[in-house]
Amino acid sequence: MLKYGVVVIGAGNGGLAAAAVCARAGLKTLLLERHNIPGGSATSFVRGRYEFETSLHELVGDAPDGTPGPVMANMEEMGAKVRWVMEKSTYRLVVPAAENEDGFINEDGVRVKIDARMPAGLKAFARKLDELVPGSYDSCIRAFEIGTTMYDLFNYLETVEKPSLSYIAKNIPGLALIARIGSHTVKEVLDSIGMPPKAQGIFTTYWGYMGVPASKFDFLYYMCMMYYYVANGAAMPKLRSHEMSLAMDRAIRDAGGDIWYNSEVTKVLMKDGKPNAVVINGEKTVYADHFICNGFPNFVYSDLFEKNDIDKKFYSMANARSISCSLTTVYLGLNITREQLGMHDYSIFIAPDEDSDKQYQAALGGFGSGFIVMNCLNTAIPDCTPEGTCQLFLTTLTYGDVMRGVSPRDYRKYKNEVARDMIETCEKALGVSIMPYIEEIEIALPPTFSRYLNTPLGTPYGYMLDMWDSMLPRRFNYEKEQPFDNFLFVGASQERGDGYGSAYYSGMKAAGETIKKIREGK
Amino acid sequence: MADNFNKLSMKGFLDNLKGRSARLAAGSPTPPPATDTSREIARALHPGVQYATVSSVADLPDGAKAYELVPDKIRGTEAFAFAPAGKYLTVFAEINGMTVTRPYSIASSPADSCRNKYMIAIKPVEGGFVSNYIIDTWKEGTAVKISDPTGNFDYQPLRDAQKVIGIAGGSGITPFLSFANAIADGDEDFELTLLYGSRNEKAELFREELDALAEKTEKFRIVHVYSDDDVPESDGYEKGFVTADLIKKYAPEGEPYSLFICGPQAMYNFVDEEIKKLDLPRKYVRHELFGEPHNASSIRNYPEGDFPATVCITVHIQDKTYSVTGNINDTIMQSIEKSGIAVPARCRSGECGFCHSIVLAGKYWIPENLDFRRLADEPFGGVHPCVTFPLSDIEIDVPAAK
Ligand SMILES: Cc1cc2nc3c(=O)[nH]c(=O)nc-3n(C[C@H](O)[C@H](O)[C@H](O)COP(=O)(O)OP(=O)(O)OC[C@H]3O[C@@H](n4cnc5c(N)ncnc54)[C@H](O)[C@@H]3O)c2cc1C
Ligand code: FES
Repeated sequence: MLKYGVVVIGAGNGGLAAAAVCARAGLKTLLLERHNIPGGSATSFVRGRYEFETSLHELVGDAPDGTPGPVMANMEEMGAKVRWVMEKSTYRLVVPAAENEDGFINEDGVRVKIDARMPAGLKAFARKLDELVPGSYDSCIRAFEIGTTMYDLFNYLETVEKPSLSYIAKNIPGLALIARIGSHTVKEVLDSIGMPPKAQGIFTTYWGYMGVPASKFDFLYYMCMMYYYVANGAAMPKLRSHEMSLAMDRAIRDAGGDIWYNSEVTKVLMKDGKPNAVVINGEKTVYADHFICNGFPNFVYSDLFEKNDIDKKFYSMANARSISCSLTTVYLGLNITREQLGMHDYSIFIAPDEDSDKQYQAALGGFGSGFIVMNCLNTAIPDCTPEGTCQLFLTTLTYGDVMRGVSPRDYRKYKNEVARDMIETCEKALGVSIMPYIEEIEIALPPTFSRYLNTPLGTPYGYMLDMWDSMLPRRFNYEKEQPFDNFLFVGASQERGDGYGSAYYSGMKAAGETIKKIREGK
Repeated sequence: MADNFNKLSMKGFLDNLKGRSARLAAGSPTPPPATDTSREIARALHPGVQYATVSSVADLPDGAKAYELVPDKIRGTEAFAFAPAGKYLTVFAEINGMTVTRPYSIASSPADSCRNKYMIAIKPVEGGFVSNYIIDTWKEGTAVKISDPTGNFDYQPLRDAQKVIGIAGGSGITPFLSFANAIADGDEDFELTLLYGSRNEKAELFREELDALAEKTEKFRIVHVYSDDDVPESDGYEKGFVTADLIKKYAPEGEPYSLFICGPQAMYNFVDEEIKKLDLPRKYVRHELFGEPHNASSIRNYPEGDFPATVCITVHIQDKTYSVTGNINDTIMQSIEKSGIAVPARCRSGECGFCHSIVLAGKYWIPENLDFRRLADEPFGGVHPCVTFPLSDIEIDVPAAK
C-alpha cells in the first residue's frame, strides 16, 4: 500500500509551494501533476529559436526597504534558487484618441488622448502623474501613504492562524485607517482623497492584473500591490517562469519529497466522512492523512468526489461566486530587434479609455475590447532571444463563456482572427509594424488555459475579487471554507486570488496548517 | 476635488463579512457545472489518446500502405478530434512486450476528420522497427491506440507567406496531401506549389489523388521531380533533385514565399544546403520533424572522450525504479523502451517536449540541432530523452507514460 503523510494535487504555484514547505518540514510528501512539467501557469514553451514566457508579466520586485520582495523571499525560504532580473519601471499607458476626441501627436506619431510612461519610485511616480494631470500630486502621495500603513496588517495576517479583529484593534497601528478603507473600493477611496478622474485612470492601470475594475476592487489590496510595484519596480526570473518552477521541483526533491508528473488525480476516496486516498490516472491508489489541492474547487467537487461526499454548503459557495476573467495571449517571435521595432518599454497598456471601469465594460463584451497589455521581454532581458530578434507577448481579458458557438473545426480560424485584431490594435496604438516580422506565433485562447490549468472557463485568476468577495472577508473565513479539515485548497481560487505571490502564499499557508495539525496529532 | 476621506464609513467592513456569508449560503446547493464551452473545446481538440480500428488498408507503390482509421467506440472514443492539415498522430504499438511510439503525419483532410476518418500512410523502412511491424501486422479490424493530432507543421496565415512552395520526399508527401485537400475544401486559404521528389513515376505515393486535386483547384499545383537517371526528358516533370534553381524556377517573383519541407533525413541534408543558397529569412522556411536520431557517435560534434560502450540507466517512474542497460549509441528513450518500459513520447525528434524528464545524476549529450529544450532545463537537468544520449551511468526521473 502506498501511503504518504501529505498528498498535494497539482503542481501549479500553489501546489509547488505547499509541497516544498511540507517536504522541508520532514513530512512524507507526494506532489501529483497531470502534466509532464511543473508550474501550471508558471512555465514557458519553445517555438523555433524562441522561448516564450507563458504568463509572467512581472512579480513585485524588491521591498521598499531594498530587501527582496515577497516572492523572491518566499522562494529563498523554500530553498528554490532562481536568478532574478530587476525591471526598474512600472508601465506605460497609451489611450489612442478617437476621431472626435481631443488628443495630441506623441513621439511615435500617433494621435493619443493619454500617453503616460510611469517611472518607479513613489515620488517620481507622483510627480509624473502631476505633470500629466496637474493637481494630482498630493492625492497620489496620500494614497501611497495609506499603502505604507498596510504592511503591519499584512504581516499580521500572514503570521497568525486566526486573525482577530479585537487584536487588530488593540495592536496594529493605523487600524482606524484600515477599518475605514477595509470595505471601500479603489474608486471610493481615490474619490474621497480627491484624486482627479483622469489621474485615477492612470493610477489604476494595473487593475487588469487582478481582473477587477476600480469600482469593484478593494482599495486595500490594490494599494498593497501598487505600492510594491511603484516603490521599487518589478522582478523577473532570468530564464522564464520555467526556471522558478524547476527550482521548486528541485527544492522539493532535495527535501526528500516525491513528484510524479503525468499523474492526474481522477478520484478522491473517502473513509469515515473524510478523504483518505486519491486514485491516479484511474489506476493507482495512494493513501494519505492530509491533502492539499491546487485543483479548482468547482471542478474538483464535480470531477473527483461523489455527490454525497461534499456538504451542500460548499456547492452553494462555489455556485455563488463568480469565476474571474479568462485571458487570451498572443506570443510573437519577431525577426527584428526591439530597437528596430521601436519598442522602448517593457509593459505597455493600450486601452480605449483610461477609466478602468470602461475598460472592464468593454471586456465584458468579449473579444475586441481594445484593452491589451503588451510586453517586450527584451527590454527587461535583452538576450532572451537570439541576436537580431525579439519577442512580444500580448494579453487581453474576457469574462464569461466567450467561446460559445465556436466549433472545434472553426477554432483555429477564430483564434487567428482574434490575434490579428490584437496585433493590429497594437500596431495602430503604438505606430509600429509587427505583422511582416512574425517568425513564430502562438495564440492561447481560454480553451488553451482550460487544457493546461483545468479551471472553469480556463481562468488563471480564481474567483473574482469583487468587493463583496474580497481578500479580507476570505481571510477571516478561511478555515470554514475548506471542505474537510484534511483537504485544503490552494492557488488562485483562494484568499488572495491570482498572481504568483498569491498562489505561493496560499500554498505555504496550507502547508503550515497541515504541519501544525500533524504535530498536534489531529 | 474635496477631501472626504473621513466620511468613509468604518462599519462597512463587518457588514461586508456578514453580507458575504449570506451571499455564499444562498448559492445553488447542487454540484457546480462540470464543464463549459472552453473545457469542451479543449477536450474535443486534445483528448490525449484516442482508440481506433483499422477500417481499410490500401496498397501503395514500393510496398507502402495506407491505413484508414475510424473511432473505436467500444474502447471509449466516440468521435475523432478535429485534425487541421499538417498535424501528425503518434501511434502506440505493443511489439514483443515493448510499448513503442512513432509519429505519422495525417494524410487525410481536415474534413475527413470531421467525418471521423483519419488516414496515415506508412512506407517500409530498411531495418525499420515499428513501420515494418505495422505493415506486417495491421489489417482491417486491428485495434490501435493513437494520440490526438499534434505538431507545428501547419500553415499560419499571420506568419507564413500567402504563397507556399512545398518540398516533399518519400512518405513526406502525406501532410501535403492533407494541405492540398484542405485548400480544395476551403479549410485552408493559401497557394501551394508542391515539388514532389521521387525516383520515378511508379514510386510516387498518391499520384492520382494529387493530380486530381491540382485539376480541382487553381491554388494547388504539383511538380513531379524524378531522380532516376533513366527517366526520359519530358515537359510533364522535372528531372534530378530539388535544388535551389528548381525552387527559384517555381517561386513567385518579387513577392515573398514560404518553404514547407517534409521528407526523410537524407533529403533534409541535401535540400537544406540548397535552401541556404536562396538566402531566405528564417521565418519563410518551415521544417517538419527531423526524426529520431540514431548512432550517436556518428553524429556531428559528438564529444571526444573515453565513454563506456554500455551504461546503467536507473529510471524512476512514479513509485517504481528500474535498472536498464543502455547502449551508448542509443538514446535514453530507446534504451528504456528496449527494456519493456513504456515512456511518454510524441514527436521523438526533441521538439514537442512531451518526454521531458529530469536527470538526477550522470552525463549526457544532445545533438545541437535537436536541442529544443527550455533554457532553465540545462541548470536543472531537464532533458528530452528521445534525443539525449548517455555518456555515463545515468539516473533519471521520467513521467508516467500516457
Ligand atoms: C497569461 C497570464 C498572465 C499572468 N500574469 C501574471 C503576472 O504578471 N504576475 C503574476 O503574479 N501572476 C500572473 N498570472 C497569474 C498567475 O500565473 C496565476 O494566478 C497563478 O500561477 C495561479 O497559480 P495556481 O496555484 O492557482 O495554479 P495553476 O497555474 O492554476 O495550476 C494548477 C495546476 O494543477 C494541476 N491540476 C489541476 N487538477 C489536477 C488534478 N486533478 N490532478 C493533478 N493535477 C491537477 C494543473 O495541471 C496545473 O498544473 C498570469 C496568468 C496568466 C495565465
Ligand atoms: S517526444 Fe517530443 S521531445 Fe521527446
